[in-house]
Amino acid sequence: MTGYMIFVARRFGQLLLVVFLGISATFFITHMTPVDPVAETISVITNFGKSDPEAIDLMRKTLTELYGLQGNVFEQYVTFWSRLIQGDLGPSLSAFPTPVSQIIFRALPWTVGLMISATLISFVLGNALGALAGYYRKSRILKIISLGLIGLQPIPYYILAFILLILFGFVWPILPITGGYEMNADLDLSFALVLDIIRHSILPALALVLVGAGSWLTGMRALTSNIVTEDYVTFAELGGVGSTRILRSYVVRNAMVPQLTGLAMSLGAIFNGTVITEIVFGYPGIGTLLINAVHAGDYSLVLGLASLSIVGVAIAVFLIDILSPLLDPRIKAE
Amino acid sequence: MKLWRKFLAGAALAVLASTAQAQDISNLPRKETVIIENPEGTVKNPGWFNIWVNGGGGLSTGLQQLTMDTLWYIDPDQGINGAWYNSLAADKPIYNADFTEMTVKLRKGMYWSDGVEFTADDLVYTVQTNIDHPGMLSSALLSVSVDSVKATDPYTVVFKLKKPNSRFHALFTVRWNAIWVMPKHVFEKVADPVKFDFANPISISAYKLKNYDPQGKWYIWEKRDDWQRTPLGLLGEPGPKYAAYVDGGPPDKKTIAQLKHELDIIHDNTPEGMFTLVDQSKSLATWFKGFPYAHPDPTLPAVIFNTQKAPFDKADVRWALALLIDMKAVDLASYRGAATLSAIGVPPTGVAMTTYQAPMQEWLKSFELDTGKEKIKPYDPTIPTQIADMLRKQPKFKDQIPTDPTAIANQFGYGWWKPNPKAAGELLEKAGFKKVGDQWMQPDGQPFRVRLTVEGDSRSVFTRAGTLIAQQWKQFGIDAKAQPTTNPWQPMQAGDFDTAIAWSVETWGGDADMSFFLDSWHSSFVAKPGEVQPARNWQRWSNPDLDKIIEGIRGISFDDPKGVDYGMDYLKLVVKEMPTIPMMSYNVFASMDTTYWTGYPSFPDDPYTDPVPNWGNSRLMMIKLKPAQP
Repeated sequence: MTGYMIFVARRFGQLLLVVFLGISATFFITHMTPVDPVAETISVITNFGKSDPEAIDLMRKTLTELYGLQGNVFEQYVTFWSRLIQGDLGPSLSAFPTPVSQIIFRALPWTVGLMISATLISFVLGNALGALAGYYRKSRILKIISLGLIGLQPIPYYILAFILLILFGFVWPILPITGGYEMNADLDLSFALVLDIIRHSILPALALVLVGAGSWLTGMRALTSNIVTEDYVTFAELGGVGSTRILRSYVVRNAMVPQLTGLAMSLGAIFNGTVITEIVFGYPGIGTLLINAVHAGDYSLVLGLASLSIVGVAIAVFLIDILSPLLDPRIKAE
Repeated sequence: MKLWRKFLAGAALAVLASTAQAQDISNLPRKETVIIENPEGTVKNPGWFNIWVNGGGGLSTGLQQLTMDTLWYIDPDQGINGAWYNSLAADKPIYNADFTEMTVKLRKGMYWSDGVEFTADDLVYTVQTNIDHPGMLSSALLSVSVDSVKATDPYTVVFKLKKPNSRFHALFTVRWNAIWVMPKHVFEKVADPVKFDFANPISISAYKLKNYDPQGKWYIWEKRDDWQRTPLGLLGEPGPKYAAYVDGGPPDKKTIAQLKHELDIIHDNTPEGMFTLVDQSKSLATWFKGFPYAHPDPTLPAVIFNTQKAPFDKADVRWALALLIDMKAVDLASYRGAATLSAIGVPPTGVAMTTYQAPMQEWLKSFELDTGKEKIKPYDPTIPTQIADMLRKQPKFKDQIPTDPTAIANQFGYGWWKPNPKAAGELLEKAGFKKVGDQWMQPDGQPFRVRLTVEGDSRSVFTRAGTLIAQQWKQFGIDAKAQPTTNPWQPMQAGDFDTAIAWSVETWGGDADMSFFLDSWHSSFVAKPGEVQPARNWQRWSNPDLDKIIEGIRGISFDDPKGVDYGMDYLKLVVKEMPTIPMMSYNVFASMDTTYWTGYPSFPDDPYTDPVPNWGNSRLMMIKLKPAQP
């Protein structure tokens, strides 16, 4: 146990280092972008047709001061970390003076809700079908289903999403094609609102599930196919153990270890898949926020979102690492 | 366990049942609601309505269109009762003789939506609060202009200006937007107006906020019961009871939404999206009834040269590059033929068509360019006709392409420069260039290299145009390449570019006065190389004759007829010097669905306003829209 605690402490140190380096790298990369948030704000103003050059010089000075962009990049870096340690992500530059945390946490539940549920559904569906397809290799129905899901995998997500959108939003218009709930919805929590939210999430979730399930299915089918040839499975069959029990207790249980690792990684990286989903389906969340922040040169918001993603992935990997020796005795805590 | 199964089964059935119902996108009465695309998409900070601070809230959510107001409007098109109209002002601005003082007479009987009367105090408060708070958007603009502002009675405000300014009123004149008037009685109660979100905004126009999406996808505005007590109400009763501004999504999606009659007004579409609607929608309305459908906005996309950078500092080089462009091909590649061309430095739209474009034709036809070896007449007035003839051969456009010369000019422009590679070569030789093999070399022996900065996927028509222009230059032996970027304005501000496709000319549209963009072209505002260029003279071009024109305009009043003469002088000068190569108006593929509403603006029947709904002027549509169904 002492050895395990040393392992956990060492991994925790690595976690902190990864987060520090990741966030630092993001800081410098965002500050190297040619997009200047002050110029962006000025372009908003001058787009209106007000362009007195003397006034624009004054605006530039004021906004630079207001946004806290005076000083060199290293001075800004120190300020950034001193604020971050206190849990303050600072104000958004393109939505000044609104705090970055307020903007992110308004959008985050939508992304997390959709992505976690879609990931879990595709995980359960893909693994269940993969296990069955690997165990009952002669089943024609399972072959057809596998072929269908695997066949969807190479289709770019954007295309698949649009096919679903056209099919169920236009040709057979039974599902809404935009938003998280209907316009002018009463947002007091009610059964009707929950149903409305579910209804609006069906198409984006379906697209994610169809794309995701195929890869889980492929992995699980391969793992199952290998495990069913192991001696202990053959002995179990010869010993008259029922096929359902063999599948559940002998095959799936062993095959799930690497799949669970994959699941943890997927959950840690849920932010990666949000941009296209949110743009295609007009679904609320942090994906659109990220794109807008990049275009507007809003370092603070980009850093906030990236930091969240870095911390999420790092913690997921950390948890996998420290739980793996407990789940699978073959893995040593070294 | 059984209970859970029942619950899940019930929930699934309920979801299925609800999906099987009609796909109304809201619970608003559809026949009383106009649904409009907000081109800003999802608003980052949806609860921020303080339009005087850049707080991440939307502008085109209906906020500037339906709830804000200011002193004057100039419509980019004809307007309901003329392009200029007094809104919160009772009359036009009154200047003293040397333009150091402006007096405004305000309307009586205008009320905020909370029942408080609008008075001179609101206007004075707006100006003073902006000056006192540098974090406000208009702070700098007002600080450098206003010496003092005071109300001499509840309906009169006098501005003393720091220096003579015959166009000061432009700050309070909406073309796209302007400085909006603040409700003093609300803002004076808050500790810091820069940090105040103005949640639950009160309105001085005919609509007030009903509801908005905390995620920033939609905003709903409701007609005020007392709409008559607003400047917009003076023009008539708005038709829609509700106006919803929504995130329309990518072009394919908003096209689908309009085909399903779920989106009444699309702000802008791709040419392909527009052509799909033309093909498939039975209820479509557009600015031009036939091809090119789009509204020509009063901006002028052009190839902008960095004239501080050799060899683009030479007019001969700029002219040579212009003569290498085959605009017919560029038009087809970018807009698929749906562009309105302009060979001169003013957009082919609004009053510019009759004030400048048509009167300039004879001068353009006789204009001669000295290539060093010969004199040529580069202008070709037949190019729009050639484009129209080409399009007429396409079966689906056949009946929509006009044959009448005036209609062709309105839809496709008056003319453009004829491609002339021979003359281009002569002009380059005149500038000291030499052709070695297939490659043009600069006077210093280096290859002639041109990078054309274009806006990437967000303005695909320009990316297509730029790619083709670079190809045309390359075919001639120039090392030319289109360089996409997400934001061409940044390198243009910094002067870090050779050439770029964007605009530095924006006009009022509904008024011939050139000051809107031209004032910033004065040489005193041109930044030194390496320094940031204030808007809008991205070409960093200066010329003593231009300065004289600008100073002449500054010295006369906005409505002085001499202004048109100065405008003509400017146009002739930029033809000779070619600091930018004008291409076309920025044609916006706004489309409107007539299933629920009729009365949209259209040309030539009723061009009362720009149909592009993020313009402040688009509020005029509310007056003209009538229900299509009982």
